Amino acid sequence: MIATEQLRHAYGPTVTLAGVDLVLAAGQKVVLLGSNGCGKSTLLKLLAGVIAPSSGRVLYAGRAVHEGLRDKGWRRRFRREVGLLFQNPDAMLFNATVLDEIAFGPRQHGLDSAGDRARDWAGRVGLDAVLDRAPWTLSAGQKQLVCLASLLVLEPRLLLLDEPTSALDPRSTGWLVDFLQDLPQTLLVATHNLSLASELGERCLVVGEDHTIIHDGDVLALRGDHEVLARANLVHTHRHRHRDGEVQHRHYHTHDWD
Amino acid sequence: MRDRALLLGYLAAVVTATLVHDPRVLGAGAVLVLLSAGRDLPRLLRRLLRATLPVVLAVSLGYVVAARDDLATAGAVLLRLDLRVLLLVGLALRVLPAVNLQRALGFSDSLRFLLVLATSQVLAFGRLFADFRHALDARTPARVGPPTALRHGAATAAWFVRRAEHDAAAMTQALDARGLFLDRD
Repeated sequence: MIATEQLRHAYGPTVTLAGVDLVLAAGQKVVLLGSNGCGKSTLLKLLAGVIAPSSGRVLYAGRAVHEGLRDKGWRRRFRREVGLLFQNPDAMLFNATVLDEIAFGPRQHGLDSAGDRARDWAGRVGLDAVLDRAPWTLSAGQKQLVCLASLLVLEPRLLLLDEPTSALDPRSTGWLVDFLQDLPQTLLVATHNLSLASELGERCLVVGEDHTIIHDGDVLALRGDHEVLARANLVHTHRHRHRDGEVQHRHYHTHDWD
Repeated sequence: MRDRALLLGYLAAVVTATLVHDPRVLGAGAVLVLLSAGRDLPRLLRRLLRATLPVVLAVSLGYVVAARDDLATAGAVLLRLDLRVLLLVGLALRVLPAVNLQRALGFSDSLRFLLVLATSQVLAFGRLFADFRHALDARTPARVGPPTALRHGAATAAWFVRRAEHDAAAMTQALDARGLFLDRD
C-alpha cells in the first residue's frame, strides 16, 4: 500500500531520518516505536506527504507521493485515502464548532451530507454532547478524539497516528486501543509507550537513536530483545536495593506486556 | 573577536543607514551590499526581494493613495524609504548569517541568556507553526479558499497568543519560585 525507499530527511544540518526502507501492506496494524526525537513524527509527515524528503521517496499505490501531489486528481485521492493525526491536536483544530471541525474534510472533498457523516462519527467516538462547543475549549483528550473523528469521517484507507494516546487518561487510552483494533484501516501508530505496543499492532518498527529502522518484525519477539530496546532508548535500568538492603543490581524495565 | 567585530560593524552600518537621507547614497549602499555577495548575488537578491517586496509594495501603494494630491513629494519620500528598507534588509541578510551571536555576545551573560531564550522561543514556535500549516495541508485536497485560510489564520494566531500568555505566566511563576521577586513588594 505504502512504501519508502532510502528515505532520508534533515532539518538543516540535523538528520532526522537516515535511510529508511519499509513496506506497509493493506490491512496491517503496525506500531512505530522509538524514543523522543528519533524521527517518528518526521516519518509520519513524510508518509502523509506534508513534508518533502531530503532524498529517497515515498511510494503510495506504486506512485511517488511528492510527484503525485502535483497532480490535482491524484492529490485529491491521496488526501482522502491517507489521514494523519498530529501529536499536538491543537495544530488540527480551527473551526468554530466540533461539528464543523469533523465535517470540514467531507465538505472539502464535496461529499454529500457532510453534517450527517460528522454527527455519526462524533457519536462513534463519544463526542455527541460537545458537538456545538468550540474545539479549543475541550480537554486535551476530547481534542484528540475530535481530530481522530475528523480523519475517520473520510473513511481513509491508511491512518497515520502520532502518539494518539499521549493526551488520554488510562480509561480513554483503553477505549482507544480497543477502538483502533476494530478499525478496518491500515494503521501505523507512533508511540514511545512500550507497554501499549502489543495492544496496538502485530508488527513493530523500531526507530533507533541513529534515525534508522533497527527492528522490523513481530511485536512480541521484540520484548526479549533487550539489545534492540536499549539501542532505541526504550528501556531503562536503575539500581535496585533489595529488602535486606545489601544486594544491589540492575535490570531492564520493559513493563508488563502480558 | 571576529564575530563581535562583525556585529558591531553591522550595528554601526544600521545606524548610519538611518541617518543618511540622500537616495543616491542609500542606493549605492544597497548596490554595494549586493555586490559584496559575489557569486551568492542571485541568491541574496532572491531572498531580499522575497523578504521586502510584499511589504514595500503594500506600504508604497498605501502611501501613494494617501498622498495622491502631492505625488512628486510622495515619490521622493517613497524612494528614500524603499531604498533604506532594501539596504537594511540586505545588510541583515548579508552580515547576520556570518555572525555567531553566542560568541559575539560572549562578554555579557545576561545578553547570552536573552539570546538563548529568544532563540529557543523562535525555534519552538517555528516548529509549531509548521505543524499548523502541515495539518491544514494534510486535511485538504486542494488549496483552500480565502474564508477557510482566514479562519485557519485567525485560529492559529489565537492559539499562539494563548500559548504565549500561558508560557509567560509559567515563566513568571518559575522566576517567582526561584526567588526573583523576593526584593519586591
